[in-house]
Amino acid sequence: MTNAIEIQSVSRAYGGSKALDGVSLSVPEGSILGLLGRNGAGKTTFMSLVAGQDRPSSGYVEVFGERPYEHESVLSQVIFVRDNQRYPDRYDLKDVLRIAPVYAPNWSTEVAAELIDGLRIPDRTPIKKFSRGQLSAVAIVLGLASRAPVTLLDEPYLGLDVTARRFFHDVLLRDYTAHPRTIVLSTHLVEESEALFDRVVILDHGRVRLDVASEEIPEQAFVLSGPSEAVDRLASNRVVLASHTVPGLTSATILGAPDTGLRSEAGRRGAQVSSVSLQELVAAFGADVVEPALLEGARA
Amino acid sequence: MFSGETPVFQQLAAQIADDIVAGVYPEETAVPSATDFAAFHRMNPATASKGVNLLVELGALYKQRGVGMFVATGARELLKKVRRDEFRAHFLRPLLDEARVLGITRDDLHQLIDEEERDKP
Amino acid sequence: MSAIVSAVKLHLNRRRQVFLVPLWIAGVVGVISVVIALIFWRGGSQPGTAEWIQSSRSNPGIIYALGGFLVYLGVSSVGTAYPFALMLGSTRRAFAIGTLAWQALIAAYVAVVFLVLELIEVATHHWFVGFYAFDIYVLGAGDPWRLLVIVFLGVFTFLAIGAVFAGSWVRFGVRGPQLLALGLVVVIGLGIAIVVPGLGAIVAAFQLWWLAVAAGVVIVLASLGTWLFLRSAVIR
Repeated sequence: MTNAIEIQSVSRAYGGSKALDGVSLSVPEGSILGLLGRNGAGKTTFMSLVAGQDRPSSGYVEVFGERPYEHESVLSQVIFVRDNQRYPDRYDLKDVLRIAPVYAPNWSTEVAAELIDGLRIPDRTPIKKFSRGQLSAVAIVLGLASRAPVTLLDEPYLGLDVTARRFFHDVLLRDYTAHPRTIVLSTHLVEESEALFDRVVILDHGRVRLDVASEEIPEQAFVLSGPSEAVDRLASNRVVLASHTVPGLTSATILGAPDTGLRSEAGRRGAQVSSVSLQELVAAFGADVVEPALLEGARA
Repeated sequence: MFSGETPVFQQLAAQIADDIVAGVYPEETAVPSATDFAAFHRMNPATASKGVNLLVELGALYKQRGVGMFVATGARELLKKVRRDEFRAHFLRPLLDEARVLGITRDDLHQLIDEEERDKP
Repeated sequence: MSAIVSAVKLHLNRRRQVFLVPLWIAGVVGVISVVIALIFWRGGSQPGTAEWIQSSRSNPGIIYALGGFLVYLGVSSVGTAYPFALMLGSTRRAFAIGTLAWQALIAAYVAVVFLVLELIEVATHHWFVGFYAFDIYVLGAGDPWRLLVIVFLGVFTFLAIGAVFAGSWVRFGVRGPQLLALGLVVVIGLGIAIVVPGLGAIVAAFQLWWLAVAAGVVIVLASLGTWLFLRSAVIR
């Protein structure tokens, strides 16, 4: 299994701040990666680098073994549609559909037509006047119909209604199965999309907090909840990702898996041990409870 | 559909297994392909494949090249045995723990079981 | 190479706009020329007299009509097309070269359209009413080769200027065009200051082809500037 995308010790700084800080990552060819994390965590920057629209300040990015920046043959195999994509003056959907196949050798007019119909995108209205949902719909058409070997979708769900999201999922899965490609998808709708992912990466403050296969997610963390005193004691020498407290009650999301010793001690102290969903995990990693440096130490 | 308790592919395998035991998929008949399961449950195809392969490894399903996945002969018994092995941990242990908390003795339990079976419609 | 062709295709994507542009420009020229002709007529001049012909031919209204519009076209060709091109997978280099090629293409097309209209104008004795729109001094006063060169270089120059301003905006945001304009004013001002003492001699020795060279220089510098701006722009 080759890696479609290889990222090694990549940092990207803008002025004083780092959008990405020492990120290393591989995305196997043909897999679907879920890129999760808070706004400003670095997801868009990551995709921008993979799409060759930007260069890292340090480290390197490789797509199919080549650096994508200004690389014509690699770029023809990548599509990256942003959530804030600008379209040329007075463009309408027809203009987009006319020029897209020129740049996307695998373009499928059938998929495009199906998506336009299902997402109800107006034909002749200037894109400038599109609603947030309609803009996302155009991005989805470009992203999926291009059948690019590396497809990067940045928050494709913004503004889409539930029916549209379902429809997008179904078309994505179907076309991906029929025409395999590597997909990286960033979203805040974790619960809705997690079934799609082979792999999940959680970013926070420009760093990778988690990089695991989907099936390993349940064992990444657990929740300890109950009387504050009990929970504090049980969590004392463990890494707490996030915690939620009212007087007397605490719920703590803890890194790692609970062993039988912890389970029985929790039972004795009247605390509950429960599993954590991916959505809760993402929220926990974004919670700023523990300093990143401490987390690094704990994992090592 | 699938919660976050255990890996999704295991949950899918468990659901297919339950359906086999319940008779939804008789032995020597075809089950939907992994791709169809993926589309149906709206999940990643690789994950669905993993789930199906679990049952293949177990011997409950087998692949007929060019045709599809079939329920193996003896799959029901096989899967029932697996569930029997898990019965103690999944059902008995929690039952006994709960009984202890509520102060229900072993004899009480036997009586309750008899009553329940008798009153069953 | 194919990426450059794709970039040219991108610029030509709104076909209706591309083909209508020269006609629109010609139309604007026509309207302005009518207005100026009316002014002359009201001022006492009579169509057909030598005086009429002289003043009509001197009318440079076309520059005003064209200039602004072409600069706008140059700006929009880069301003919003660039992020879109990058998203589709164009390289920055291919886009810059493709834009240059497109500018030359449009300039040539407009030049040919104007030539055709000018030939019609002459053939119909100035639209049957002594009306001078294209047979004017600024466009070479009837000489077809001059008209072609003048329109080609003129359109190209304005498009290139528009593009470089858009490039500065893409690179530096709102500040870009301001700084560029400021920089140009300073440079041109200094240039004039240096040249002023010998201005009389220069004007006397003035040759038309100096303008052609100047246009060429502007085009080259503007294109270079556009390339430098686009190369280092960050699309966020």
